[in-house]
Amino acid sequence: MSVRSVFNFQLSTFNFQLNEMLQITNLHKTYKHATEPSLQGLNINFSAGIIAGLLGPNGAGKTTTISIICGLVAPDNGEVIVLGDNVKGGLESIKQKIGVVPQSIALYPQLSVFENLQYVGKLYGLKGVELKDKIYHYLKIFGLDNNAKKSIKHFSGGMKRRANIIASLLHEPVLLILDEPTAGVDVQSRNMIMDFLKMYNAQGHSIIYTSHLLEEAQELCDEVAIIDNGKLVIHGNTEELISSHYANNLEDLFLKITGTKVRD
Amino acid sequence: MQKKAASVSRIIATIINECRLFLKDIAGLSLLLLMPIALTVIMALIQDAPFREYQNIKFDVLWVDNDHGQLAKKLQEDFSHTKQFHLVKSVDDKALDDAAVKALVQKGKYQIGIVIPNGLSAEVINSANQIANDIGSKIGAPGKLPQRESRPGNDIQVYFDPAAKQTFKLSIMNALEKFTTKSEAELTLSRLAKTMKSQESNVNDSVNIDLQDKLRAVGIREASPVNTAIYGATNSVQHNVPAWAIFGLFFIIIPIAGNMIGEREDGSLTRLKLIPGSYFDILFGKLLFYVMVGVVQFYLMLQAGVYLLPHLGLPALYMGHAPISLFITAAVISLTATSYGVLIGTVFQTANQALPFGSISIVILSAIGGIWVPVEILPYALQQLAKVSPLHWALDIINDLFLRNGSFYGIAPKLSILLAFSAVFFLIAGIVEKRRKK
Repeated sequence: MSVRSVFNFQLSTFNFQLNEMLQITNLHKTYKHATEPSLQGLNINFSAGIIAGLLGPNGAGKTTTISIICGLVAPDNGEVIVLGDNVKGGLESIKQKIGVVPQSIALYPQLSVFENLQYVGKLYGLKGVELKDKIYHYLKIFGLDNNAKKSIKHFSGGMKRRANIIASLLHEPVLLILDEPTAGVDVQSRNMIMDFLKMYNAQGHSIIYTSHLLEEAQELCDEVAIIDNGKLVIHGNTEELISSHYANNLEDLFLKITGTKVRD
Repeated sequence: MQKKAASVSRIIATIINECRLFLKDIAGLSLLLLMPIALTVIMALIQDAPFREYQNIKFDVLWVDNDHGQLAKKLQEDFSHTKQFHLVKSVDDKALDDAAVKALVQKGKYQIGIVIPNGLSAEVINSANQIANDIGSKIGAPGKLPQRESRPGNDIQVYFDPAAKQTFKLSIMNALEKFTTKSEAELTLSRLAKTMKSQESNVNDSVNIDLQDKLRAVGIREASPVNTAIYGATNSVQHNVPAWAIFGLFFIIIPIAGNMIGEREDGSLTRLKLIPGSYFDILFGKLLFYVMVGVVQFYLMLQAGVYLLPHLGLPALYMGHAPISLFITAAVISLTATSYGVLIGTVFQTANQALPFGSISIVILSAIGGIWVPVEILPYALQQLAKVSPLHWALDIINDLFLRNGSFYGIAPKLSILLAFSAVFFLIAGIVEKRRKK
C-alpha cells in the first residue's frame, strides 16, 4: 500500500467521519519571561474540508496557536484536537496528517530544490521512483520543474515560497497549515499559490491560512477567525461576517473589530 | 520492525543530506581537512628543537682559563670531547677575559660563558692530598703528600644569557658539575693510589689495585619497561602529532555549531521538527556523519605524521600495534568532540556567540589538557585540573596505544571517561533544548 493511497484513504475517511478539522478549547500559553500571556482561553472550531483563515494583528497569538497545533510549543492549559487527535499524546499521528508551511523559507539554501525535497520526502518515508515522480509532479504544478537542480539561494522570493509549499505537500497531508505563504512574493507567484490552494481544497483537503494580506484571505477563506490579545474576537463565514457588520470588505471588518491602533 | 526500518531510513537520509551540504562547501571542507594537517606539521617542526635532547644541539661556550693547571686542562678536554659544546677562547681575534665574557653573555650574543679562576687546580690538588693523607693515616701511612690550609672562593664562574630558560641552565650546570666531580674524583683517587702504592712498596709489589677502575663497578644504563622497539623515541613527533591531531579534531565543533545555528535561523530545524518520527533519528544521523568526518580527519593527520614528516627531516610517527583499538579510540574522541559541538550549537543563540566561545574553549582545554606542554611537567594543581579536559584523556589513551603498548582492556576505563563526557554534553544540550521549547 503506497503512502499516497494510505493518505487518500485517511482523507476520505476523515472527511466522512469528522465534522471538525480543528477544535481548540480554552487554550492558555504564557512564554517564560513574558510579561503578558500569548493566549488567554482561546476557543476555535474549524470544520473539515474548508479553507479557514486565522487572522489577527501583530502579537495576537496566531503563530503561538499554530506552533501548538504542530507540537512545536507545549500549551500551559487547554485542549487542542487536530483531525481527531489530541496534541497531548497524539502528536505523531497529527504530524502524519498535517503539512505545515512555515513563514520562514525552511529549506537548505546550498542545496537544490530537488535535493531539499528529496531529503524531506525521505524523512516522511517516501522513496525511490515514487518520491521522484511526486517531486517533479509538484515542481511542474508550481512552475519549478526547469529549476530542479538550481540551488535555493539562487531562487527569487516567489520561487522560494513555492518550493517551501511543495516541501509540505509531498506526504499528501489531510490538513495544510500555511503561515504567511505569500509574504514578499511577486504577483504572478501569489496568483499561482492562490490558484493551487483553491484546487487543493477542491480535492477535499482542509486548509488553515494565516496572513496579514486580508484581500487574499477574503478571496480564499470560507471561514475566518479573528483573534486579538490571545482570545477569539469573532468567527464565522467570511461573507456573512462582512455583511452582518456592515463592512466593505474583510479589511474593513478587521479594522472595525481590532481597531486602528498600531501594534508592536 | 517497520518503525525500525523507517528509523534507519531517516538516519541514512540525514547522513546523505549532511554529506551533500558538506560537499557544497568545498572550500570549507578543504579547510577542515587541510588546516589541521598544516597545524600538526608546523607544530611538530616548531616544537622539535625544544623537545630534542640537548645532546643533539651544539652550543658555543665562551671559555676563559685563568688557572692553566691540571684541572682546567682536564675540564677543557672533557667539554671538548662532548658533542654538545664548542669552546670559544677568542672573539674577533681578541683573547677573552672575565669582563669580555660577562659583556658578551649579557648582550645575548652567547648563551654561556665559563671562567676558570686562578689557583683552582692547586686547590683541588691540595684537597685531594688532604683526603689521601687522611685515609692514609688511618691505614698507617701518614703525611706522605704535601698539603696546606684550604682557600675558599675558588668557584668556577658560569655566566648565562639572562633570557636563558631555567631548564637549559640546569642542564649546563649538571654537565659542568659532572665533569668537575669526575675530575676531582679521579685526581683524589690517583693521589690515594699513590699513597697506597708508597705504603705497599714497604712490603711487596705483588698487589696492584686500580682504584679508579674498581670504583666504576656500578654502572647505569637505560632499560625498557615495555617490550617494543619504540622505547626511547619520545620525540617531538610522538607528542606533537597525536596532540595536535586531537586539537584539530575538536575544531569540528565549528561546522557543527554553525550548522545547528544556521538551521535554527533559516527555519530548516522547524521543518525537521514538524516531520513525524523521532527527531532523535535525524540528530543521530547528523552525529554519525560528523563522527565519521572526525575519524577521517584524525587519520589524515596521523598519516601526515607517518609519511610527510620524514620528508621534512623528522622521524616518522609510530602508531603502535593495536589498529582496532586505535580506530575505536578515534571514533570515541570524535564522538566527544561532536557532542561538545552539539552542546555549543544548542546553548548559544548566534554564530557570533558560539564560534568564539567554542574555539577559545578548545584552546583552553588543550592548554590544561597537556596538548601544548606535557602534563607531567606542570605543577601538581594543574595536573589535577587536566582531568577536566577531554583532550587530556584523549591524548593519554593515544600515548597508551603508541608508547606504552596498551591493549583495549587497558584503555577501556579511559574510553569510558570520554564517553561520560559525551553523555554529559548531550544531557546538558537536551535540557537546554527542552527548556527552550517551553
